[in-house]
Amino acid sequence: MPRKAIIKKIEIETYDSKTYTFEFEDGGPKGLDFNPGQFVMLSILGYGEAAISIAHDPDDKSGLDLTIRNVGSVTDALSRMKVGDLVGIRGPYGNGWPIDDAVGKRILLISGGCGCGTITPIILAHRNDQSRFKFVEVLHGARTPNDIIYRKHYEEIWPKIPNCNVLLSSDTVPPGQTWKHKVGFVLSLLKDMKSTPEDTLAFMCGPEVMMKFTALDMLKMGFSEDQIYCSMERRMRCGLGLCGHCQLGSKYVCKDGPVFSYAELQELPDHIIRGS
Amino acid sequence: MLLEKVRIPWAVAHLSKEYKVFGPVTRRSYVSFQEIPDGEGLNLEYTTTTLPPKKLFHHAETLLHYHKEDFSAPKLESDQHVLLFGVHPCDLNAIQRMDKFFSKDYIDSYYCRRRERSVIVALNCGVPDDKCFCASLGTGPDVKEGFDLLLTDLGEAYLVEVGTSKGKTMVAKLGLKNASQTHFHEKARRLREASKKFKKQIRMEGLAKQAAENPNHEAWALIGDRGGLAGCFACLSCGNCSMVCPTCYCYEVAEIPDVSLKEGIRKRELDSCQLLEYALVALGQNFRPDRRYRTRHWMTCKFGGAGGQQNTSCVGCGRCIRSCPSHIDLTEVARSLWGE
Repeated sequence: MPRKAIIKKIEIETYDSKTYTFEFEDGGPKGLDFNPGQFVMLSILGYGEAAISIAHDPDDKSGLDLTIRNVGSVTDALSRMKVGDLVGIRGPYGNGWPIDDAVGKRILLISGGCGCGTITPIILAHRNDQSRFKFVEVLHGARTPNDIIYRKHYEEIWPKIPNCNVLLSSDTVPPGQTWKHKVGFVLSLLKDMKSTPEDTLAFMCGPEVMMKFTALDMLKMGFSEDQIYCSMERRMRCGLGLCGHCQLGSKYVCKDGPVFSYAELQELPDHIIRGS
Repeated sequence: MLLEKVRIPWAVAHLSKEYKVFGPVTRRSYVSFQEIPDGEGLNLEYTTTTLPPKKLFHHAETLLHYHKEDFSAPKLESDQHVLLFGVHPCDLNAIQRMDKFFSKDYIDSYYCRRRERSVIVALNCGVPDDKCFCASLGTGPDVKEGFDLLLTDLGEAYLVEVGTSKGKTMVAKLGLKNASQTHFHEKARRLREASKKFKKQIRMEGLAKQAAENPNHEAWALIGDRGGLAGCFACLSCGNCSMVCPTCYCYEVAEIPDVSLKEGIRKRELDSCQLLEYALVALGQNFRPDRRYRTRHWMTCKFGGAGGQQNTSCVGCGRCIRSCPSHIDLTEVARSLWGE
């Protein structure tokens, strides 16, 4: 059963994406204990459930932020809801990023489109306490400048965090949109980044085609298959490894994932994140 | 103990006082598990049923009720305990696998509650047909465990063996005669005879690995796209194989609103990985868009190489072969992967 939660705040990120702050209203804690990279199942009554990455500060238990793009029936219904409306939330589910392995190391965070949501908790954790990671570098891209979620944070707030570097790209810049950052795919930022394979773990979330080619370039730069982690998207109905939909060969993305190392993915079928 | 065949309806009627009894009943040319309160129409000579017993434990479930401003858990039914009469070894093995699957890492309360409220009278199988291959998987034709009572056809009577204390209580009320050593010898002889009747077999050990290591094997394109593996046509993505498979567990979840659109239920129902929508996500991306990927996934699952591992693997009942409109045969796919 989902827990009852109320929309407390809605922030418009782009023309099709919003960040919603939820608070649980079932007498239990208002927020959630979670590992960065985990997800929840969000219920909109009458429409169904969708798996949504947690885009919240892991040290803050006062609520739950989810950044959601309007792409399907559940998210479309949510986009028409207002502050005070009731939703259901189950979770957190999945493994999350291997944060414990990254403590004391450098982290390279790469995201495309709305893949930035699941990356955010790590940036916020680093903002709260810079003793955890030596260095955090954020590479983020979208199709156009108007598709960049958290734009103000990427441009103004997060670059000010000590030991944090932010690089942005846009695939194209349509007439009328302004852009002072790189024009090109996310992987074009690999040339400009400060990160090296040494002592670094790379966490990536975005369309599979983006992760495929970015990972291939990173392997050429000397990153190993065990240093690159990808967060996978699949149809999910339960989040518990029972409904079957998210299977990647012998693994359930909801239970064994959504985060898999590049090395693990090479053993699994039905995705394109591999060399050929 | 011995139960004469002529006393079967009486025994079923007796058990119906305490349980809702389901057993194999002939419907036109097919056999189906149906409620048989008085044992009428029970066909214990059957080979297989169209749907496996999972239809009584894992078919459809209401997950929640919602109404305009609120939602709540559904009230649990105060249903009567169920007795499944005449379950063959393949199906009993499948039930045991599904029991493990739904209680391994997460207890599925819907399934487990139904199973806790059920008892099984198993029936050793003496009538395999040309599609059965449980003997090569060790899941038949004889039952080894997982039953409350076990019947073996000895001609005029059934040999009755007790598996659990529930089974003991059940037979205590039936007043059965004791069996002798001769009856057990006859049971062994009949099972030996039954095991000689199988036409199909499968080499399952290492098959999941073989399938995983050969994702581009010609067999996948043949069954999925082109047809031609042992005379089969290309898969039609009808999903029959998963519906009739006793270990297929995948389910879809959907909201069913009432006419007011203000309230409704959230329901789960059996799904099939062979359907196009199974791996579809928002914006239209489909992670298994082609039939060869979907049939590869299903076959790999039945070989024990998918998420459910051994708990969702094949038990050799042959239902998928019987119900496939394209004549796709899992044992032939295995032979092809082995290069036979």
